[in-house]
Amino acid sequence: MIALAIQMLRHDGAKFLTMVLAVALAAFLTQNQASFLVAFLGMTGSQIRDVREADLWVMESDTECFDQAKPLKESAVQTVRGFEGVDWALPMLKLDTHARTESGKLSTITLIGVSEDSRVGEPRMRQGEAAAIYQRDSAVIDPGGMALLYPGEEFRPGMKIRIHDEWLELRGVSEASPPFTGFPIVHVSHATAMRLNRAESRSTTFVVGRLRPDADAIEVTRRIHEATGWKALTRQEFEAASWKFYSDQGVPNLFYITIAVGLIVGISFTGQTFLMFVKENARAFTTLKVLGFTHPQLALMMTAQATLVVLLGLSIGTAMVVATTEMAKSLPFFRGLYLPWQVSLACCAVIGGVTVLTAGLSFRQVLQLKPAEVFRS
Amino acid sequence: MNAVHCQQIEKSFGSGETEVKVLRGVDFTAHQGEMTFLVGPSGCGKTTLISIIAGLLGSDSGRVDLFGESIASLSPREQILFRRRHLGFVFQQYNLLPSLTAAENAAVPLFAAGMGRKAAVAKATDLLEKLGIGHRADAPPRLLSGGQQQRVALARALVHEPRLIICDEPTAALDHKSGESVMELLSSSALHPERAVVVVTHDNRVFHFAHRIAHMDDGVITHTESPVTTHS
Repeated sequence: MIALAIQMLRHDGAKFLTMVLAVALAAFLTQNQASFLVAFLGMTGSQIRDVREADLWVMESDTECFDQAKPLKESAVQTVRGFEGVDWALPMLKLDTHARTESGKLSTITLIGVSEDSRVGEPRMRQGEAAAIYQRDSAVIDPGGMALLYPGEEFRPGMKIRIHDEWLELRGVSEASPPFTGFPIVHVSHATAMRLNRAESRSTTFVVGRLRPDADAIEVTRRIHEATGWKALTRQEFEAASWKFYSDQGVPNLFYITIAVGLIVGISFTGQTFLMFVKENARAFTTLKVLGFTHPQLALMMTAQATLVVLLGLSIGTAMVVATTEMAKSLPFFRGLYLPWQVSLACCAVIGGVTVLTAGLSFRQVLQLKPAEVFRS
Repeated sequence: MNAVHCQQIEKSFGSGETEVKVLRGVDFTAHQGEMTFLVGPSGCGKTTLISIIAGLLGSDSGRVDLFGESIASLSPREQILFRRRHLGFVFQQYNLLPSLTAAENAAVPLFAAGMGRKAAVAKATDLLEKLGIGHRADAPPRLLSGGQQQRVALARALVHEPRLIICDEPTAALDHKSGESVMELLSSSALHPERAVVVVTHDNRVFHFAHRIAHMDDGVITHTESPVTTHS
């Protein structure tokens, strides 16, 4: 019976193809945009996650995300170290400044100073050694920075960038996670960062630290906040706050619109075509009714038809998303893109469910067919 | 035994001023082992009557018994199952499914009954052989002539060995030779001591195949005759 249903569907090749492509389009648009949204918002926490050793972040009370770093008092590190439950704490200096290459290429960059003593926050490296940043006037740059400041060029030792009036030699290419802002990420030593910090006199933007294993994170961060007025967050809380900050700026809205368009266009095309398919096959369905097919049998046939359309459409759409994501990942600024399986599953479930539902609505047409009409020529 | 026994069947369509009384107290009987023709001018109620006999349409009043069982007393689902098991149909426009082969089309009642695809198609192919078109078993309907399509439809009506076959103008879309050939097949293959065949037609060239002819006009059976037939 299922084979019979599939044969009926395949026989009307144009409609079959239209329905499959409509589902594929919906699957592609929704998964593509949803994965971009998740990946981009995930990038708001990139530099927080990159400091792998730290699970405590302390900052000025009105800081809303990593990119909003504001200077803290010099004594902040000592103060945080003094709280019970804090294992260790270190200063972190993050600056937004400009870098220029020898050829004159200019870009805003995010400069991160890594403590020489602890090496906490040291980047993973793609080329070169991270320890090289502790040498005088040295830095490492991320792949996005290389692509922006040295388009089309491979990294080679001796490349230099100028920040303010000082030249830094690039010692390697890091694996810094792609930032939401898209700015190049440049790692230097904390001392170098302090020297380049012309805008502010203070040397700390964040205090990063680690809680003792037996410490209650909520309790410790609450005590730090109550005693100092600073914002104290766990890594997860800071990531969530950064995500929320950018979400609240309306960043996701464009994605939501495209996702909605994909769903509406894909599902309405599929539903409409399925309805036409049922109407044009009304005589066949009526004949089947007369020949003894029950409504549950006809429902099973239509479910099989809808399921085949959904499975093929979702497979094609998902394959397209995987292909385009992989292609985009090869570009430095999109290297953080990925297709989370949860996003894929959710999109497929929604599209599949709604498409089968529209097939169910089309089944009402079959229910209304009058068997006696079969004698009409 | 009576295969079909209709008593005082009445049926109207519409209501009020637009009401059209199509059947006005029809009494009709078809016997097992016989081919009964229902003839009359267009619009006299033939199709409405066979729709009621087949359980595809309800009557306003009267009673229909098929093999001693009242159709109206069955639930809708039981009516479908009864139709599936005991009735076969041949339509004027064949009503073959264009997406299926001839053998698959002939096997549709077996699919409805839940028989496996392979066994159903094999049984249908055997029947197509007997009806002389086994060589076209794998062909889709669009590649078959009208006569061949009607033979496939005949195979579909016979494949599940029903007790009553209802044919609606089976020769209307065919030329005389093909129509004669289909009627010969119907006569030789469908007739069986346990089975009745009811044929609606106004093709008087095939009347000689009938054991009994019920003449219908303006919603009633006017008279029934038993012509001298040419079949064995």
